[in-house]
Amino acid sequence: MVKAFSVFAALILTFGSSVTRGQTDLGQIRKMESSGDVAGARATLVHAVQSSPDSIPVLTEYAEFLERHADPGARDEYRRLVTALTRSGNRAAAASAAHRLAVLELLAGDKQSAEKALGKSIGSVTAETAGATVTIPGPIRPFARMAAISPEALPEEILPALARNVVTNGYEASHSNEALEQTEYLKLVHRYISQARELDKVAGDQKVIKIDSCDSPKVAELLRVLGFRMRGGCGSELVLETVNAGRAFLTTDSGFPVNRLEEALRTNRPFSYDYHPAVVPVLMGPEYWMGGAKDNSDFLENFIGDPSVCRLYLGLSKLDTETAEGLRKATTFTHLRAYAHVLDFFGSMFEIRDGKAVTPGGAKSAAAWSDLVGVSTDKGPEFFDKLLGKDDGWLCSLYDAIARIRGPLRDYLTEPVRMKRFYTAVRGRITSPGPARPVFRSNTDMMLLTTRLRLDADGKPHIPGDLEVWKELFTRNPQGRYDGKLTRLATTWKDSDDVLEALFALCRKSVENEPLKIFMALTDVDRNRGEPLTAATTARLAHNFRLYGSQYSLFSESRRLSESSITGYLDVAEGITRIHDPLLRSDVAGSFQSLMGLWAILVRQGTLAGGKSDSVFAGINGAFAKVVNDRELFDAGRTGVKLLLGDTADAQEKMVDVLAGASQSEDVETRDQIKQEMHRILEAQRLPSLDTLFELAGHLQGTGKLSSANLTKLSARLSEIQIPRAPLTSNEKNAMGFGYWTEKHLDAERRVNIRLAVERAAGDPVKLKEITGQLAPLLRDTLLAFNYAYYAPPGAQILYTNPVFVRGHDFVGGEGQSRTWAPTEMYGTGWPSNGGGRLVGSLSTLPYALAEAEQNFLVPTQTQALIWGDLVPQMILSAKIPRWWDVSPAQIHWVGLHLEYGRELLAEAALDAEVRTEVLAALGLHAIPARTNQVRRLLEAGNVKEAVDRVTPSELFNIARDLAPKRRGDSSCVLAELQQMGQANSKEVNYSAISRAFGTPKPTLANSYEPELLNLRTFPTLMGYSSRIMAESWESNTLYWAGLADEVSISPAQLNVRIPEWTQQLVEHIFASHLEDWPAVLKSLRLVGDDVRKHVRADMAAEQKVGFQY
Amino acid sequence: MKITRRGFFGATAGGLLLHAQDNQRPIFRVKVDMVVLNFQVTDSKNRYINGMKPTDFRIYEDGILEKLSTFAEGANPPMAVNADGTTRPMLEAGKETVPGMDKPDALTGTNVFLLFDTSNFMYRGFVYAEDAIADFVRGMDHADSVAVYTFSRNLSRAAPLTREHAEAINGLRSSVAGDDTALYNALLLTLRDAAKVPGRKVVIVFSNGPDNASMVAPDDVRAVAEDEGIPIYVISTAEVNKDPISSGVFRRLAQRTGGKAYWARTWQKQVEAFENIREDMINSYTITYYPQPNPNDGFRKISVELVNDPGKKLRVQVRPGYRPSRVF
Repeated sequence: MVKAFSVFAALILTFGSSVTRGQTDLGQIRKMESSGDVAGARATLVHAVQSSPDSIPVLTEYAEFLERHADPGARDEYRRLVTALTRSGNRAAAASAAHRLAVLELLAGDKQSAEKALGKSIGSVTAETAGATVTIPGPIRPFARMAAISPEALPEEILPALARNVVTNGYEASHSNEALEQTEYLKLVHRYISQARELDKVAGDQKVIKIDSCDSPKVAELLRVLGFRMRGGCGSELVLETVNAGRAFLTTDSGFPVNRLEEALRTNRPFSYDYHPAVVPVLMGPEYWMGGAKDNSDFLENFIGDPSVCRLYLGLSKLDTETAEGLRKATTFTHLRAYAHVLDFFGSMFEIRDGKAVTPGGAKSAAAWSDLVGVSTDKGPEFFDKLLGKDDGWLCSLYDAIARIRGPLRDYLTEPVRMKRFYTAVRGRITSPGPARPVFRSNTDMMLLTTRLRLDADGKPHIPGDLEVWKELFTRNPQGRYDGKLTRLATTWKDSDDVLEALFALCRKSVENEPLKIFMALTDVDRNRGEPLTAATTARLAHNFRLYGSQYSLFSESRRLSESSITGYLDVAEGITRIHDPLLRSDVAGSFQSLMGLWAILVRQGTLAGGKSDSVFAGINGAFAKVVNDRELFDAGRTGVKLLLGDTADAQEKMVDVLAGASQSEDVETRDQIKQEMHRILEAQRLPSLDTLFELAGHLQGTGKLSSANLTKLSARLSEIQIPRAPLTSNEKNAMGFGYWTEKHLDAERRVNIRLAVERAAGDPVKLKEITGQLAPLLRDTLLAFNYAYYAPPGAQILYTNPVFVRGHDFVGGEGQSRTWAPTEMYGTGWPSNGGGRLVGSLSTLPYALAEAEQNFLVPTQTQALIWGDLVPQMILSAKIPRWWDVSPAQIHWVGLHLEYGRELLAEAALDAEVRTEVLAALGLHAIPARTNQVRRLLEAGNVKEAVDRVTPSELFNIARDLAPKRRGDSSCVLAELQQMGQANSKEVNYSAISRAFGTPKPTLANSYEPELLNLRTFPTLMGYSSRIMAESWESNTLYWAGLADEVSISPAQLNVRIPEWTQQLVEHIFASHLEDWPAVLKSLRLVGDDVRKHVRADMAAEQKVGFQY
Repeated sequence: MKITRRGFFGATAGGLLLHAQDNQRPIFRVKVDMVVLNFQVTDSKNRYINGMKPTDFRIYEDGILEKLSTFAEGANPPMAVNADGTTRPMLEAGKETVPGMDKPDALTGTNVFLLFDTSNFMYRGFVYAEDAIADFVRGMDHADSVAVYTFSRNLSRAAPLTREHAEAINGLRSSVAGDDTALYNALLLTLRDAAKVPGRKVVIVFSNGPDNASMVAPDDVRAVAEDEGIPIYVISTAEVNKDPISSGVFRRLAQRTGGKAYWARTWQKQVEAFENIREDMINSYTITYYPQPNPNDGFRKISVELVNDPGKKLRVQVRPGYRPSRVF
């Protein structure tokens, strides 16, 4: 690799520092580019190249410009440059340009051209070796459809995906005995395979189903297999209709072209359908799975017939080749199968190199691991074999949790004495049932603890408050003891490791691990504070966690929030909880939480900066501190609005304005678009404006006298807003018996008639003031609607269709429930007799709940779209919560350059073994060993594009981030620009600023809505609340969108609209086989990106064409 | 209220945002575009009455007599209605009568949106249902367009709106069985798609009823259909008494939008139901008008009066009204 000297910088020097050949000032173009005028710079460069086609500086500048912006045209320009340099006789420069060209050719997947550019072959031939395969009857697509596997899956992904589906969906407990019986899913797969074998016979040796004409004798046999028959004779009246429902179902569900067959028969034309069987790779060869049998013709049936075999296959498929092969040789099939569940859950971080186990903590901990397992780490295969069989999986789960982290925390946890101590706590006295028994991991607490634990500056774990807080929690927990033994031990605790040991011990319990949740939540509150919370506040938060814990993420929103504000919030919350009347409690809680929700938005957007965030927060607390009736509630709500917006006569519009984002933005169009969307939602919800409510209240309270006509007008405005009547009459509700709610809040609002109330008050000022209370529920809903509108997911079908969706928010919950401070949840879906689904609980997880409610309105572009559930709401949330008003073009470009440099490093790694080692080491910090090894093999073979396809954008970003400082001498113009930007603009383009701008909110994982990058390994599929953690650990989307925006010159402000749109398209294009199918998400991400590039570049080309004509 | 004639055929209401000059505050105004009415006339024995003329009808909106803009019967192309009630071909009438329409043939025929339930509930009868739907599509008039949508938890646009009926059947045959049933979510999205299409349209729902995943209520979906003037026909493969809640909802959805509900457990009954729907489409009248000034921004009641039926022996099946949208 050419190093240490940038040939292009030299060229510039050679041809003069102020290159003005052909009247082109390249420095000026650079200035245009760095100021954000990329389009202008591009147009000028194009013009310059046309004016001076032989100018090497100009050609160089243009090629580098295109490379820096990941433009595919860069290759053409480098080719021209190489030619020009060769012609000029500058060999060194030509070689360097040829190297850059080769890198770009490799990234484009054109290895041959890369080899041509370099004049040598790339990649070793031995790197690609064909493994054993197995045949699946019929083409891959119908099989994939029936087996619920994405037809886009690569051949090597088919059997692991099938194995996973069989393990998770193939069997269920029998109703009559303890045996497992096949689910309908697996029965259908079996039936399909049987039908496919029959069709295979019809296809004959040619493996093509051919029907020459309608009266061919093969027609009857084919139709019999398909389950259809002809209605009407051959000719235009012919129709195929079902005769055997079971077969016909398989035929259509698997995608057999029945319609094409019918058309061919009707028109008496030949029908032909390629029925070549699919050939897919099989790990270890089919014999391994067939007990050594040579005949593997019924491999598939045997494979899916035994869930433990599938589980083992799934487990081994997560290992890299060397490790899997080592394990295979070290032990018997039967032995491995017995521990397949442990391997599946906790084996993906196993790594054997040169026969030795690569264990977390390195050499200093190797002996400890050897002791714990009972086999030396020097004997890699034996070590892992023994680890799998140890204590039903507890040690293996600890191994996995620690292996996933890195840095000082891993060093701390793998200190031999400490590690053994924590293992003893995790293991407990009774090991069965182990942590790998369920189908999904039921408990991810240990992984969460090891991932999110913080070390303080003194190198010790951060313990919120002090040790006494935790002793107190374990010994005098008001809600009951967590664990008898730990309660006894807690009195003797002396340091932070004692607390950690208790937390590890609780990780083995299958019940909810509340202390860990408290620990993590309070650690996260402390994380962003200048000074951690005092012990007294921490103790109060810990003791109130069960009731108010879901609100604590609010305290992470502002780094300037004082302790008195936090305790003030708890005071108000406790006061609200004590309100006896559920209707009033609901309205007070709704108004208070709505205002706090708006406060959080404004803090996040920087509108309430610095100390103001604390004073407003405290002010809202104060306003709600002593609310005991509706009238006081209205006053508190109005005070809250005033605190948020300041004095204004136009509160409604100002609220929309501040929520829409930076008023200083130059991109008025984008801002208006956001404002319009909010207005549409508010209108669809038929809510009165803040101004109407405040003006009416002012009149009633005597502070703003309205004329009689105006009073009538404003009162009428409330009546104009027709709240839809309840969908069912009381009689209907009673007849249906369930599935409705009393709608007291709505009924109260329907009864509001201010004009009548004013008439009845007959000018009595006291009575008039009392009427203000009738406006309080309406004010609650209007404030709530601002929160809903702000977080509205793309499409927002529910908000546009159900006019009482906001008003229907239930802050209390059903009879006997208290959901006032609980996380937001969807309720009432799928009941035709109710008024539609609604949200219940507090507003603490409103963005997620809204996204969850809306996700089923997304329309998949493919017939299968299996990644939904927790992943999609998190993706929507990540597109809606961050806003990019304060992001600079330079920051977008910095991300774009990182992604580009990450790709280039992978290409360089294919050309240079030394670079490969560095790049793979960097990748190994983020990807599991199996994938790192897969990328290694592809790079060794020179298949760079395939390798890049297997690396996520966040990994690319991190590879570039990790290696850029170490590779200062590289000739890459991308790296040069990165370094130049870093030096010139370090305030803007530093990691923490980028993390804030392009990170994702992680309300479950980090107890915060503040976007950030945590650079975690992607979490596995989990159950319960922790299943959201998997989705939150995916950080690639926003980074990818930023890189895309850089490539196609989209301004940061536009991202506020584009990212939600792109995310919707991304979700609609996902075509996945299972919940952890990240490659499917990546494919969809790139598909949307390619589509955007195509359109933008077509527009750009058209503009350039027009430009040249003038 | 400001009423303009801007907009496109098929939309009942569109939004217009006006910025007041003084303080830039948004003001909501109601703007009503062309209203499309689709209805059948039957006698006391439920036989269709055909061959009626524009002059045979009087359309009232909240009691206000409306002036007809176009008139069509069955799959025939619509005719522009003159002031005296006589008609003339649309091409001759030009775009003044039907603003926004560049392709007059888009007004011919019906746009049928078939919404097919492929959820678990339909698993057993899946293939027979496909046969019945395929038969219906084959029997459609050449002028009619059809879209095939399927749904379980999500909607899938198996075949976009097309006059190539074979393509629609192809889409139908490529549908796959799903899991949960979000019927009303899917119906809402189908109506949103249908609302974008000019001309006459109907939605036919083929489902067995129970919904276990929708976030929107049937009545909210029905309101969208009412406002957009899209009749909903429902063919339920369940028994009417088995699921009284769904049966009641289906009945209300159909009646309030000008469609009909059928309970057809067997394949034969399903074919029969489709036949009835086809009959309805063939024997329907489509009238359009621009509403006269009307201060009512809420629900506007529509009534169709038959001029030559003094004994009130004939029955008109028409949607009861619509709400002009107050769109930002």
